[in-house]
This record gives sequence, structure tokens and C-alpha cells, in this order.
Amino acid sequence: MTEAIARPRKLPPAPLEYLRRWPIRLSVGAVLVFLYAPLITLMIFSFNDSKANVVWRGFTLKYYIKALHNDSLIQAFSNSMVIAFFSTVLSLILGAMAAIVLWRFRFPGKTVFDGALAIPIVVPEICMGVGMLVFFAKVLPWPQEMPWPLNLGNIIIAHVSFSFPFVAVVVRARLASFNREMEEAAKDLGASEFRALMDVVIPHIQPSLIAGALLAFTLSLDDFVITFFTAGPDTITFPVKVYSMVRFSVTPEVNAASTILIVVTVLLTFLALKFQGSQALTAGHGADDK
Amino acid sequence: MEQSWRQAKSIFMTLISAPLFWLVAFFIIPMGIVWLYSFGENSGLIDIAFTGTWSNYAHAFDPLYLGIFAKSIGVAVVTTFFCLVLGFPVAMAITFAPDKAKSWLLLLIMLPFWTNLLVRTYALIAVLRTNGYVNMTYQFLWERTSGLMTLLGMQPLGDFHPAILLYNNFAVVFGLVFVNLPFMVLPLYSTLDRMDRSLLEASLDLGAGHIRTVWNVMVPLAGPGIVSGILITFIPSLGAYLTPDLLGGPDSQMIANVIESQFKRANNWPFGAALSFILVYMTFIGVALQGVIESRNKRRQA
Amino acid sequence: MSSRTSRRSLLTALGAAAVGISFGAAGCSKPAGDGVSASGEEPKLNFYNWDTYIGDTTLSDFKAASGIDVNMSLFASNDELFAKLKAGNPGFDVIVPSNDYVPRMSEAGLLMPLDHAKIPNFKNVNAEFLDPPYDPGRKFSMPYTWLALGLGYRKSKMKGIVPDSWKYVFESDMFRKRITILGDSADLIRLAGKYLGYSINNIPDEGLVKIEAMLMKLVRSGNLLKFTGDEGDTLLANGDADLVIEYNGDVAQKATEDPDLDFLIPKEGSELTSDTLCIPTGAPRPDNAHKFINYILDGKAGAEISKTILFPTPNDAAKALMPDDYRNNHIIFPPADLLAKSEYAQFPGADRLQKYEEMATRIKAAGVGG
Repeated sequence: MTEAIARPRKLPPAPLEYLRRWPIRLSVGAVLVFLYAPLITLMIFSFNDSKANVVWRGFTLKYYIKALHNDSLIQAFSNSMVIAFFSTVLSLILGAMAAIVLWRFRFPGKTVFDGALAIPIVVPEICMGVGMLVFFAKVLPWPQEMPWPLNLGNIIIAHVSFSFPFVAVVVRARLASFNREMEEAAKDLGASEFRALMDVVIPHIQPSLIAGALLAFTLSLDDFVITFFTAGPDTITFPVKVYSMVRFSVTPEVNAASTILIVVTVLLTFLALKFQGSQALTAGHGADDK
Repeated sequence: MEQSWRQAKSIFMTLISAPLFWLVAFFIIPMGIVWLYSFGENSGLIDIAFTGTWSNYAHAFDPLYLGIFAKSIGVAVVTTFFCLVLGFPVAMAITFAPDKAKSWLLLLIMLPFWTNLLVRTYALIAVLRTNGYVNMTYQFLWERTSGLMTLLGMQPLGDFHPAILLYNNFAVVFGLVFVNLPFMVLPLYSTLDRMDRSLLEASLDLGAGHIRTVWNVMVPLAGPGIVSGILITFIPSLGAYLTPDLLGGPDSQMIANVIESQFKRANNWPFGAALSFILVYMTFIGVALQGVIESRNKRRQA
Repeated sequence: MSSRTSRRSLLTALGAAAVGISFGAAGCSKPAGDGVSASGEEPKLNFYNWDTYIGDTTLSDFKAASGIDVNMSLFASNDELFAKLKAGNPGFDVIVPSNDYVPRMSEAGLLMPLDHAKIPNFKNVNAEFLDPPYDPGRKFSMPYTWLALGLGYRKSKMKGIVPDSWKYVFESDMFRKRITILGDSADLIRLAGKYLGYSINNIPDEGLVKIEAMLMKLVRSGNLLKFTGDEGDTLLANGDADLVIEYNGDVAQKATEDPDLDFLIPKEGSELTSDTLCIPTGAPRPDNAHKFINYILDGKAGAEISKTILFPTPNDAAKALMPDDYRNNHIIFPPADLLAKSEYAQFPGADRLQKYEEMATRIKAAGVGG
């Protein structure tokens, strides 16, 4: 019943055009300031020429140079990226599979499986971190001198374990709006179960796969507690490195490293959206999906 | 709508095998070991013996730890409340925005969520501390106002005292809201977006003002989204570790900090395991509650 | 179908971007670990150390001298170190525990005995550190630094007095909300015990009761800004706090840039620590580990390290090579009489540690409802 109306600016806001009303505009603006101001000041102060970094003393790039020459920082950064990449791919596959199975089938133990899938989302990170530590020490010792990037394997496994349930949740939400008649139609037209799945269901859940991938990537990149317990001497990740820098020596180098991370994350997100078109985020919601 | 697994056995098996294996091997088993530890005791300096004792749980019910649980719940509730209050107008704004603005707005709100938690918390330190940006602005305004008042012949304001915004519970709540707000907006937006707008238009047509429409029509319709949002915000806030650690004051410790110290300093893994599992049981209760509310909603709608 | 291919190409692009960035970066910095040294171990070393606790050029100097590549990882507390090793050594060759953790770890079988024959530079070590109570005969450890806990303060904010007693942090209202104290349970309780006149390794039960009451009162009074781990010196330097409990070397580092900062050991005495170099059990390259420890104990290398980290050194040869402003720095080398009143901490046993931890939890919870 809603019409897409293109109104010239001079008309007063339509009843539901909340964004054009000033109280809403004010609160959205305030929230955006609240969310961004600290980050932007962090980024600005990465150029500050002062070791203590309290007051602005001048513009310099030297802390970026320092950060880029900081071998352990670079190593940590590349570890984080590689872990996030593999974790995302695996989480996407496992999460999508789990979501489809739960949506589609009745089977004994379904509630248990459903519940078990929710636990990683819910459990305190430190508990899981310790579990992972003990597991990789006593149950499945991860061979130590493996070549990079295989030595990151145990961290990747840990990350996938807490990421793929999130992906499953996202994909399930999208599956809920899937019209099974389309799949039935495909089968009536002669497609096998498998083809029906691949060619009808998968494209429908595509936006949620993108969303899920981004989610899994972030979760992995961001993780501190669980990674800390599973990382070894060769496998330090970026958040762990930044944490020790924040605890000990807070200089603009930390800001520089953080800014680099922010920029990389933003770039990758934009890449994702560019390939998908900006419909990705809004597709599948609301009226356009009949 | 669902079919029995027998109808498409091979597909079912293919699909369920990998997630099930992964879940069991790399999650259930490690967590199981920690669960077993909660019934164990330290034996010797580094080993843990499984003795089937309940003493760890009994210890956890000591008033000291119950008080900390209560405090953590309190902080999480306050955080969730602010996230809801701040997030709802934003979700509304995004829902009713023109399509092009929609995705940009959504992106803008979610972007901070994609930056590293540590980085965001660290950024807040620079903002909130004694010589931080808030205080610097405050001092600037204070001194200008004081100068202005002197000019106008009035008594100037007294000495400037910086506001103590960091290393206290205020900072912890501030930090938790800062970190969790994007989590709240997404489910709210999801539900609002699927809402039938004709109901809102009807309400407005019938003469209710905007505030009443929002309160009496939109909010109840957004019920499931609100409940999801609350859950997604409440649970991480309850189990937060980094934020109270970096931003908190002497009396700001939350349950996750205590658990961490049991695993580290006190080297009392069985007790730490018991505490974490109490946290897990509590969150199970929360999820179950949500499930109950949701099924009651569904029944009402049916 | 176009949507399927674009999804694939998207994932590929995302992946390619991520992997490309990381491989590019890693390619620049991955250390080359080929070849095998004379002892049959590859020329590599995994060093697990505290942050900012090594000289600027030490690792590269060591590589130039021996051909061994050192990969340094960081930990922030002895507990982290202990927790990491407790479940099995993940590949570290040299670690840096504090003195009170040495007996704890050696009793747990986590340390490898040192072969003194491979560490000839042992002769450089100061006589006081040759046979300490926590490691008789230096069987498992070599001294790296020693540290003193004390009060760091900003001279201009001290209202005309010199804070020469622990009472200014524990029992005074003079510096409201400008004080930080250590959050580590054992250290906190030991220092509070020192203030009340007890020996830090021998606090009787009624002493513990008094300490808990005093610290609870402190938390309730609101005078305390924060319990710190290692960031006391940062808070002092950036003006958030004026009086902090900190290690002398940390304050010395900040004081080089800000002469308004100073440090002292209170008149009641304090706690001393010594960080040591050890080889954990299961180290993959014990030979390289011995070589590294021996290198650090060399006078010149030791002096390089001290120049950077400004902590007191137990290495006489290194100390002799240091400039006067290091040797005569009263922050780095506090006066002998106050040192005489200070003690090294011993591992109090697991039960007692848990008791301390619970005391600390109660103290930190004192603000609740108080």
C-alpha cells in the first residue's frame, strides 16, 4: 500500500517520512556523532607528533612509518587477515549448510541440534577460549613447526567454531522468507533435488550469504579472548598485539596501526558492496520480495 | 512446509554432516572438558582431577560472587536500555528512508561495528579521560563563559574541575553502549521493515498523533525485533571483559573479569569453569524466555 | 546464472583482496628460516617476553653475531605466561618469568635446568644474584633485570610534600581520585602488609584482616582512581593521576621525557622483583636458547638493553659500561637503606594465592552497595 513517491523538497514531510522530521534527524545525527567522533579523533591523532599523544603538537607521518616497519605488527596483521579469510570461507559453507538443513528438514534431534548451534553465540568467550586451549593441548595437539599459513590452523578452527552459528542465523532469517512453491515449481519442471537447491534456494539466500560473510570476517578479525588462548609464539594476531601496545606503551603508533585496520576493513566492505550493488543490504526485506 | 529427512536422505546427510561434525568436535568437546573441570579440583600444581565435586558451584553462590553477578546484570540492563532508546529512532529513520539513503544509513550505522573492539574502546579512553576531548571542550566552554560573564560584570565561574568520566561505572556503561548500539539497530530495522505500514497510516488517519502511533502501534508490532535486539545486546554486555577492564574504575569489575582472574591469577580453573557455566545457564534462561515470548506472540497472531 | 557467478566472483574478490594484502605484507617481513646450525637446530628462536623489555637493537645484533633469528612474542603478566605453559609448551625457547614464579614453574616441571657450561657470561652477574633463595645455584634461571615497586609521582602536584610513605596511597585523603594502586592481588596485599609493618612473605592472618579492612575503606572512600596492571606510568604521564604505585624502571622511562615526574621507595620498605631468563621444558631449540641467554648476559649487550628499558641491571659488566646518569639515577638505583628494607616475594603456595585473590575480589567489590 505504500507508494514510492518522488516529492519535490518543498512539500512538508509525508506522514511516514520520519527521516525528514527534525526530531528524528537530530537523534540520528547525534547517534552518528556519538559513534564516529571517537574513531575519527583516533585517526586524526595518529598523525600527532607527540609521543605521549595528549595534546596536538604537529603533523607527522613518522608513526605510520614506525608501524609499517614494525615487523611483529605486520606479521600480526597478516596473520589476522589470513585467519579471517579462511574462517569466513569455512563459516559460510558450514553456516549455510546448517541453515538449510534446519529450515528444510524434520529429523530426530532437531531441537537439540538447533539449541547446540545457538550455544557458541551465547557462551562467554573466555570459557570457550580455555576450552580451545585445553583441546589443542591435550586432545588434538597442533603440530608446531608447520609452514605458514598452516600453523594458523588451530586459530582458524577456533574462529570457525564461533562464527558459523552466526552465519547460520543470518541465512535462516533470509530462508524464512523463501517461498517453497518456487522450489516445488523447479522440481515439477524436472529439476532434481540437488539442482533445485542449487539453482533456486542458493540465489535467494545470496544477500544473506554476503551479510554472513561480512559478519564472519569481522568476528574473526575482531576476536581477542579466544585467539589469545589459542595463539602460540608464531601466531600472534592483530588485536592481541594492539592490546599489549595499549597496556604498555600508548603512542601514536597504536593509533596508526588502528587506523590502518579501520581503513582496510572499510575498503573490503566497500568492495563487497560494489560487487553486489547497494541492494545487497536492503534486498529481501519488506515489500520488494513478492 | 518442512519435509522429513527420509524423503531426501542423501541431501540431508550431505548437508548435516559437516556442521554437525564441526560442532561436536570443535565446540561441544572443548566445552565439555571445561564443564567437567567445573566439577573437578586442582591436583598438584598444574593438573586438574575430575572428582565430581559440587564445591565449586557452592563457592560460586557465595554472596560475594552473587553480588558481582547482580552488578553485571545491572550494568547489562542499563546498557540494553540505552541501546534501545537510542537505537529505536535510528531504526525508524532507516526503515522509512528512501531506498538509496537506506543502504547508506545502514552502512553508516554498521561500519563502527566492523572496527575492532579494542580500537573502539581505546578510542574512548582518549575521549573520556581527564585531559580528553570531552573535558578539553568542557574546559574551553567553561573558560569562555567565565570570561564572558566577567565582561558582563557578573561573578566569573569558579575554578575549572574536569568531569571524571573515565575509570568508573559511567565509562563502562558508555563504552558498552558505544560498542553494542549497532547490534541493537539491525534486528529492530529488520522487524520494522517487514511491518505492514498500512496499520500506521490507518492510525494516523484516525487522528492519533505521531507519538501515540509510535508508542501504541509501532512498538508492539516491532515486538519480536525488540526482543531479539535486547537479547543480542544484553548477553555480550553481561559477559563483557575488555570494556570494564580498560575503562572501569576500582569498583567496576564484572563477572567476566572475575572469571578471567580465576583462570589466570588464582590458577583456579575449576572455579572459573563453574562461574562461566553459571553465566551460560543464565543466558540459556534468557534465550528460553525469548523463545516463550515468541511462541506466545505467534499464538496470538494465529 | 548471473547472480551465482557474481556471488562467486565477489567471494573470490574478497578473498583475493585479503590474501593479497596479507601475502604481500608477510612476504616483506617473513624471516628466512632455512639452514641448520652446527648443533643441528635450525637458526631460529621463539622468545616470550614482556613488552618494551628488550633493547632496540638487541635482537638484530644477536642475529648478526650468531645467525639465529629471534621471534619475540609478548605477554602481559606472569599468570598469562603460566597459563600458556601449563597446558603444554607451544614452542617457546626462552621465557622471562619473575622470581616468584620460578619455583612455582620449576616445581610443576615447566622449566628445563640450565647448563652453566653453555653460559660462560654467568661470571658477569652481580654477586647478590648468584645464589638467590628462589633459585639456589641458579639452576633454572639467569637474572635479567631487577625491579623495585614504589611510588611514582608528579612533583608539582604533591602540594609541597614528598610522599615518602605508603600512607599517602592507602590511608590519605590528600589526593582524591588522583591515586592508582596495583590490581594484582598478591602484590597489592604484600605492599599493604609492608605498610602495616609485616614482612611480605609472612603476613599473619590478623594482618590479612587489617589489610582487607584498610583497602576496603580505601575503595569506599572514592580516593582511588583505578586499579592498574601496568598502565600506572601512562596515567601518571598523561595527567590522569598524580600518585601511582609503579615499578621504578617504568617511571624512569617516562621521567626522561617529563622531568616533573619522580619515584621513590617509601620509608616502610617495598617489594623487589627480579625478572629472569629461563628455558621452558619442551623447548625445541635448547642450544640456541642457551646461546641467547649467554648473549644477553654479555656486558655490551646488557648495556644496550639497559639503555633502552632503564631498569636496574644485575649484570656488573653491563652496569660498568653504562653512562653516569644511569648509574647515579636514584630512580633506577634507589638508595641502599631503602633497598635494605625491601624484600623479594616468594611463591606463597596455591592455596594462599587463591585466598589473596578472593580478598582482592572482595576489596574490588567493596564499592558495590558501599
